[in-house]
Amino acid sequence: MKQGSLQLGVAPPANRGISILDLFLRLVAIFGTLASAIAMATTNQTLPFVSQFVRFRAKFNDLPSFTFFVVASSIVSVYLILSLALSILHIAKANAVNTRFLLLFLDTAAMGLLMAGSAAATAIVQLAHDGNNKVNWFAICQQYNDFCKRVSGSLIGSYAGVVVLILLILLSGVALSRR
Amino acid sequence: MEGDSTTINITETPKERKGKAPLLAAPPASSSIKPVVQKAPKGGYKRGLAIFDVVLRLAGIAAALGAAIAMGSTDQTLPFFTQFFQFKAEFDDLPAFTFFVIANSITAAYLALSIPISIVCIVRPHLAAPRVILLFLDTVMVALTTAAAGGAASIVYLAHNGNSDANWPAICQQFNDFCQEVSGAVVASFLTVVVLMVLVVLSAFSL
Repeated sequence: MKQGSLQLGVAPPANRGISILDLFLRLVAIFGTLASAIAMATTNQTLPFVSQFVRFRAKFNDLPSFTFFVVASSIVSVYLILSLALSILHIAKANAVNTRFLLLFLDTAAMGLLMAGSAAATAIVQLAHDGNNKVNWFAICQQYNDFCKRVSGSLIGSYAGVVVLILLILLSGVALSRR
Repeated sequence: MEGDSTTINITETPKERKGKAPLLAAPPASSSIKPVVQKAPKGGYKRGLAIFDVVLRLAGIAAALGAAIAMGSTDQTLPFFTQFFQFKAEFDDLPAFTFFVIANSITAAYLALSIPISIVCIVRPHLAAPRVILLFLDTVMVALTTAAAGGAASIVYLAHNGNSDANWPAICQQFNDFCQEVSGAVVASFLTVVVLMVLVVLSAFSL
């Protein structure tokens, strides 16, 4: 056997850097998704006029898409917190293949779930901002200003989470290809 | 050098005295010299997976194109009219549906254009670069298609159920055919998402 040929069990040094970047990005994604879920879940605006027949309060659970968004964001942020353990394992053992593959698979699923929630909420936010004359859907943002602003802002965090998850998937793929 | 002499002691084994010793000694049991076996690069299962990848891509094109066409060809006019209300429903009445048609068309076009890269993966199974490229692009496409499907699903849900808190009526009670076509398109789009996710996992597995 030639000396200096490929030795099994030793990872290329760049894989450790990839794992550290992975951990950092995961922390960013946790912050984004958690902030987004909390911002949406704490929406509550009551308009200052009173009537017996029409309600003048807007909360996130008045719209099922927003409920789905809060649930999806929370699930993804809990998953990201739990996956920190795997990420730290990859820093310690940079040539792990099976766990990296598992992490890639779970990251793809989490990205799909988060994107679905964000898209559903975005569709409703667009409708709330603009209304739709053709189906007689009134633009509720004209009255519920604060509610709308808060809801639109919380979407930013979850879209940032989606972008970070795509980067995490790419990092896992690059680390898997260097073995 | 003077004074240096080396004495080599050779002791005869009993077998040598009898002339029965083998000419060449057998190699010791734990030899550090092993024959070098040149293994061909493992192409077997990777090539099979790459062929499955191309087949899945074709299925994904069918699903995405089907979703885009099903949504894009919606047009229902109710048989009565008044001066004030519109009784025609098309996909471009709702921006979420317009985005749905555009995004699914982009996904179908991407899947068609990525087939050559996938064929490269079949022909050269040990290359990692095309697989990493496909992994990244497929992931971005999962995000785009999920966005389209999720947004349209949200509007379809609203159209089926309405929302009393926001005074949004459930239009599906009148526009029945429109709603059915649109719901079918959303289902096809979610199938495309599943196909793309399987493609991502397949690319990662073959890396």
